[in-house]
Amino acid sequence: MWRTNLKVLAVALIVIGFYTMVAHVIPQLQSEVPEALALTGDVTPEALAAAGERIYSGAGGCVACHGLGTRAPNLVTDQGGEGTIGARCGSRRPGMDCKSYLYESMTNPGAFVVPGFENIMPDMRRQLADDQIWATIAYLQSLGGEVTVTASDYGTSTEAPTGAAPAAAGPALTATTEPLALLREKGCVGCHAIDGAGPPIGPSFDGMGRRLPADQIRRAILLPNADTAKGYEQFAGTMPQTFGQMLSAAQLEAIVQFLAGRR
Amino acid sequence: MTDVVGLLQAAAQAAADTAGGYGHFPGIGARGAVWIAAEVHLMFAAFVLGVPMFAVICELIGIVGKDEKYDKLSKEFTRLLVFAYSATALWGGLLLFFLTTLYPRFWTHMATIFSRSMWVYAGLFFIESFTLYLYYYGWDRWKVGRAKWGHWGLGLLLNVWGTIVMFIANSWLTYMMSPPSGVTAETLPAEVGLWNAIANATWMPINIHRLIGNAVFGGAICGAYAAFRFLAAKTPEERAHYDWMGYVGNFIAISTFIVLPFAGYWLGREIYEYNQQMGITMMGGFMSWLWIVQAVLIGVLFLAANYYLWTGMGRIPGAERFAPYTKWMLLVLVICWIVWATPHTIIATREELAAMGGSHHPFLNVLGVMSAKNTAVNLMILTTFLSFLIYRRANRRPTVAWARTATIIQTAMFAIAAGVVLFYGVYGYFVEAIVRIGFSVYQVLAVLACIIGVSIIDVFLVRGAESRGEIRWGMMPARSQYALFILAVTFTWLMGLMGFARSGIRQHWHVYEVMRDTSADAATPALGEAANMISLCVLIFLGLVAFIFWLGGLAERAGHKAPVALAVPPQPAAGD
Ligand code: HEC
Ligand code: HEC
Repeated sequence: MWRTNLKVLAVALIVIGFYTMVAHVIPQLQSEVPEALALTGDVTPEALAAAGERIYSGAGGCVACHGLGTRAPNLVTDQGGEGTIGARCGSRRPGMDCKSYLYESMTNPGAFVVPGFENIMPDMRRQLADDQIWATIAYLQSLGGEVTVTASDYGTSTEAPTGAAPAAAGPALTATTEPLALLREKGCVGCHAIDGAGPPIGPSFDGMGRRLPADQIRRAILLPNADTAKGYEQFAGTMPQTFGQMLSAAQLEAIVQFLAGRR
Repeated sequence: MTDVVGLLQAAAQAAADTAGGYGHFPGIGARGAVWIAAEVHLMFAAFVLGVPMFAVICELIGIVGKDEKYDKLSKEFTRLLVFAYSATALWGGLLLFFLTTLYPRFWTHMATIFSRSMWVYAGLFFIESFTLYLYYYGWDRWKVGRAKWGHWGLGLLLNVWGTIVMFIANSWLTYMMSPPSGVTAETLPAEVGLWNAIANATWMPINIHRLIGNAVFGGAICGAYAAFRFLAAKTPEERAHYDWMGYVGNFIAISTFIVLPFAGYWLGREIYEYNQQMGITMMGGFMSWLWIVQAVLIGVLFLAANYYLWTGMGRIPGAERFAPYTKWMLLVLVICWIVWATPHTIIATREELAAMGGSHHPFLNVLGVMSAKNTAVNLMILTTFLSFLIYRRANRRPTVAWARTATIIQTAMFAIAAGVVLFYGVYGYFVEAIVRIGFSVYQVLAVLACIIGVSIIDVFLVRGAESRGEIRWGMMPARSQYALFILAVTFTWLMGLMGFARSGIRQHWHVYEVMRDTSADAATPALGEAANMISLCVLIFLGLVAFIFWLGGLAERAGHKAPVALAVPPQPAAGD
């Protein structure tokens, strides 16, 4: 009988082990918590937009719908020939400026439903704190338009948003010129592989210096849309255009030299 | 850039918010502790709710058909319940303590809204256990005539209590998923109406889904019990009995399992209707890979169940004539399985895109879309149904005059159903997604119609059929029993996985869009980590179940020596 029992045990363990293994070999995606902002009055528009970008493509959940599908209008890229969202937001509704329109889009999406789409977008106030919404708006404006969100929009209260999560989640912004730290801090490694590891959304940083001279790398960072890397047409327009404002000159040079040196 | 984001400030505020909201649990952490307690509790609960359903049905068959065999089976099912019941209560208690000590803020919210239903729940739990004890220990006392019907009524009541208890508990967790739209983060819990909170959007779909799921699960675990006893059996009679019990358990599990997807579709639709974003997160967002894992598990289920049926034909005289077909059925199953488990998702995040290396899976694009998947599943269901049918037919030779015609009609029904499924599967490639979703309804309807139509014909067809020989119960190779174990383990794991899906789509919310999870464990873990937890829960549950099985055997042996001890509850002064 003991032999049978052991066999039964072995079968159970093998089956359980097999399922566990299957669950481990698929891509491991964790659902993140939106990072809490505690904006003070003198935030630069660029920093605001950068914070909004993280919400947009991260825990804000926008890309679940505004992504590659046809569920929702493209925001980062052109939609129906009207340009990116920052370019078209001012002319969507007569008499409504870009900022108000975007705020309405996020907080009362049913008020104006973009033709050809369904009214499925939820009121984002249930998910995001007010300053998180404003940061996202700043980011959307930066996509082809001018950021006009100011401190008076989100208030300067020092109160943490209702859903303050441990802020450790967000990367700290520093003045470092250490290239590897910068690549991590600015989120480049979120799209570009380095040392053979990382996502394939943008071209790998490995051997970049072999393909591009320093001035072209600089240009690619400052004006990502100026020309599109071969084989990455599908992702054209994904690279943020805000790095010019986010990097100090010294930081930009540090990155450029670093990448150009990777042969 | 120090002026940018007052990170420290936010951290301090978060810490202040969190203080008093969460407790600490050593080792696995608060979330791990609650996860394990809740999941193991749920597994036992599913078992003790599922088994009474078919215990009363078996008893009824025994009464009406005057067949001792069914009565004995029903009683055996119930004996497992008595032990499992206390395990359910114990783990429930543990869960309660964990929630109150580790998540006090959340618990206060829930208790404020649901207090009255919680009291009713506790009361019903009492009544349910007493009913169970009466049902089990009264078995041999109320054995004949009107008393037997009264006894059967107890079994029925047991089901009624159990179902209400489950519905109440479901209202709590569905509220966490889909609180009524009027409730927001600003609403005070005391202002939330009890009925309003109970009758939320996903309550009924979950109720139905779980009701069916429990029957499946109960059948699978009983099948494993029978397999366990079959392997340990010493006499041919014992072996015959447990072989038959295993067959019944497997039959219950698989036949109810086939309807489960329909309840699942309904639940999914309600989730989409409630909140598109939640639906998309579930099917296309960070959880989309979960469905691939699910497909792997369900493929194993279909294969194991069919394998069991096919080996089972060895004990049926006349089944040889069907043997050549099994390899083709196996082929269909395997192909469908591969198609179904082929990854394809609408990409949700940059990370996912990166993980998959492009917006579509490079090779398996065509196989991975919805059309192909639905087609595969429906064909698997049809194949399994065919296995059952052959099994049923194996030792009978119909005597009715129209037998040939009927068989031709049945064959045609299969062919038409398969044709419809395939047609819409292929046609699905040529239409818009929105139209394609409608196709799955036609496919499902064709399969259902086939199952119902063929079954009805079959019932009349085998009336008065000649026997090609009795089924030789017990003449089953030992390896077939391992299929039953695989089924039980897989169903248990599947339940853990679906539990993670249901609970995980709330993401970083205790109560979706009402109460945030601000603990350190707020981020929903990736599937690998979840799988570790699920496996741990499954191991704990199955370990305890094995212990219960062993106890069952022990009690029986004791019962053989002194039958009275088990049949009648201790009644001190009953006789004198
Ligand atoms: C459940 C899917 C869904 C989610 C999640 C979602 N949206 Fe939308 N969104 C839509 C749809 C559909 C439309 C078009 C219909 C409409 O105008 O409501 C839209 C429209 C918009 C528009 C107006 C676009 C235009 O062309 O005028 C903006 C701006 C927008 N969304 C921003 C966001 C942001 C920012 C987020 C994340 C915080 C987000 N959305 C999350 C579905 C979604
Ligand atoms: C959201 C994704 C994303 C992020 C973040 C991102 N990039 Fe890119 N990057 C791309 C994509 C996609 C391309 C290719 C398409 C194109 O050329 O526009 C690209 C192209 C480039 C190129 C040109 C490569 C070539 O072979 O032509 C350089 C250089 C570059 N990125 C540097 C950076 C640096 C430095 C950062 C961080 C400061 C960064 N990228 C952040 C997506 C991203």
